[in-house]
Amino acid sequence: MSTRDQTNPANPRESQSIDFSMVLASAVHDMKNSLGMLLNSLDELRQEQASSIGESSRFNTVQYEAERMHNDLVQLLGIYRLGENNLSAHIEEHFVPDFLSEHMARHTPLLDGLGIELAIEADDINGFFDEDLLTGVLNNTINNAIRYTRSRIKLTAIEREGFLVIGVEDDGDGYPENMQHSGTPSFKSLDFKSGSTSLGLFFASSVAQLHSEGDQTGSIRLHNGGSLGGGVFEILLP
Amino acid sequence: MTDSADNAIGNTFAKLSYLVVDDFENFRLSMRQMLRSCGADKIELVPNASAAIQYCSYNHVDVVLCDYNLGEGKNGQHILEELRHKKLLKRASLFLMVTAETSKEMVMGAREYQPDAYLTKPINRAMLEKRLSALITQRSALLPINREIDRENYPEAISLCLQALPSKPRYKTWLMKTLADLYQQVGDFSHALKIYDDVLAQRDLSWARVGRGKILVANQAYDEAVTTLRDLIAKHPDYMEAYDLLAEALEKQGRPTQAQQVLEKAAEHSPNALMRHKHLATLAASNQDMSTASQAWRQTVTLGTHSIHDSSEHYLALGQSLSDLSEGDTTEEGSAAADEALTILRRMEKRFADQENIKLRSRIVQSRVHAGQGKMNEAQKALESIADELGDAGLMDPEAGLDYAKTLFRLGRENEAKALLTELASRCQDDPALLQKIENLLDEPVGFRQKLRARSLNRDGIKAFESGELDEAVMTFSRALEIVPSHAALNLNLVQVLMKKYQETPGDRDLLNRCQKHLAQLSGLPQQHRQYRRLVSLRKKLEGMMS
Repeated sequence: MSTRDQTNPANPRESQSIDFSMVLASAVHDMKNSLGMLLNSLDELRQEQASSIGESSRFNTVQYEAERMHNDLVQLLGIYRLGENNLSAHIEEHFVPDFLSEHMARHTPLLDGLGIELAIEADDINGFFDEDLLTGVLNNTINNAIRYTRSRIKLTAIEREGFLVIGVEDDGDGYPENMQHSGTPSFKSLDFKSGSTSLGLFFASSVAQLHSEGDQTGSIRLHNGGSLGGGVFEILLP
Repeated sequence: MTDSADNAIGNTFAKLSYLVVDDFENFRLSMRQMLRSCGADKIELVPNASAAIQYCSYNHVDVVLCDYNLGEGKNGQHILEELRHKKLLKRASLFLMVTAETSKEMVMGAREYQPDAYLTKPINRAMLEKRLSALITQRSALLPINREIDRENYPEAISLCLQALPSKPRYKTWLMKTLADLYQQVGDFSHALKIYDDVLAQRDLSWARVGRGKILVANQAYDEAVTTLRDLIAKHPDYMEAYDLLAEALEKQGRPTQAQQVLEKAAEHSPNALMRHKHLATLAASNQDMSTASQAWRQTVTLGTHSIHDSSEHYLALGQSLSDLSEGDTTEEGSAAADEALTILRRMEKRFADQENIKLRSRIVQSRVHAGQGKMNEAQKALESIADELGDAGLMDPEAGLDYAKTLFRLGRENEAKALLTELASRCQDDPALLQKIENLLDEPVGFRQKLRARSLNRDGIKAFESGELDEAVMTFSRALEIVPSHAALNLNLVQVLMKKYQETPGDRDLLNRCQKHLAQLSGLPQQHRQYRRLVSLRKKLEGMMS
């Protein structure tokens, strides 16, 4: 039998019809776990070698960039599952100040290393959201804020017009004009040439939209100012 | 946070005892380091499951920090299940599962035991302190309630929950969930339902939806339960609990095929839940879908390797279902299934060697597997190896007896099989489930493929009878009876059609003779059989017609 026979199941050409996005997703999974291990070791290294690492900017860069890659991969997987219709929000009620302070804790070592001050200003309110999905969004936003801030980052939470509004503010130069909008970036609007793909924003806005209650749906909002005078990211959840 | 608050939480850390389970020494040490710097003092480190379980058997532990992935052998979920199942860990104690992000998905969807929290690696000291202190604060706030639940003093736990609701809004969700569970435990469905309805009136939360579904099932409102659960699954295809409950509701609604499909989907989504595979296997077997049943039993056996839920019954059921699958099938596929059955049964004899009857149960099925492959000598030998145990069938465990009868049918020893079943039926008069099994075996002592064929002919026959095509009905029922000549309902169906035909064409005595022959076929029917009264009444009617 000819190896070029299209009906032959063992045909090597046919094996190319493998589900490539599946392969990508599992590779991403693997990379993400490796980075998780790497981040773990970096944290430990920082503890063990506190005196010699101290405020080493190179060590901070290593940790920051690893965090960033990790977040990107988490988002990539989230978006993959979104595309497979396999991502839904498991909404539960959470005490918002607790949720935010756990977040702050995750970033504390790096922020200390970078000399950035992180504060929380949250009302004592309960919110309804999917903890894991929101964690992904906040990690990414805080990471972004770390990149653009001068010295301070603030996490805020208030209730506004029936929505829980969680904000991340910084004292940097703020978002450029063309990014300040409250709409939803569509997948098509992602610009892979400009270097900034806004993948994070796309993910954040998708997560916001997975949160709905009655006819109300979550959304995100970017603007400048706030109490620190820099960029303000807000996610509004019904 | 002020210093005094810091001290207060530091003190709480100091009062509790901790167990860290991880296979990597470095991780254990760094976890201990982190816990110490939070103010903890009593910290035990163990590298694996058996050491963890051993430790918990003899020591009180307040907080377990357990890595999910422990290399070969038992994983974190196995430990959690064993600790909770054997009640080595109080409800008031905390179990934290430490996972890499991947394994969280693998752990979730486990059916019975959930950890109190997941800690996702990488973990740093600040995170651990925040997370643990929040959990510990919650634990002490809810301790009085959990203590009453541990003591099974549910009414007291209920009143404590009610008191806490207005004063502890931070734990509202926990309190509502627990309260609804407790109401259900004590059988107060209407109060439980009211809680779920109140929550749902505010917001569509999955846990309340499932809870409501549970109450609906308990109240036998299956239609409503099915609707609400289907809707939930459409919105949240990864919410496993809803699948289990939907399958249960469908089953009780009398739709076992749909129930099976639901469980198959769930098993696909979360392949590691032993109990779900077991449920699927049982359901598929009763649906006569032997290949699905075999696959699900196979999974159940595999997942049982390290699980507290492991049981010889799973091995036996896999052997039985492979035996059904391979019976009379001597193709490569059939003999592979037969070989697998024999291997599994031998493994069962070794793994559960100290269990009573294990050899007996194993060899009875082995014999049937050989017979199904036409190897009568080996089938005979398998039975001879347990001749002593088989000696007094009257003393045999009913399930074993039933299985033995099935083997006897395959070996062509029908009279012995029937005698055994009749004896069993009178011995187990008060056990309707067993009577049902005896009945099924007496009716259909054949392989599942023939069973399915006979059942479909029976349905066709009934259809023909209902649309007045009597000749067609007679022919179809007769063909079904060629497959299962002793089937009670089928024989009686045929008798009824023949009588009807006689009424339309009186004088055809031959019809009545045929009726008589079919009724005689059922002369040995045990009185406990559900068709027995129908048999008696048709017998009388026939006497009337013949005189």
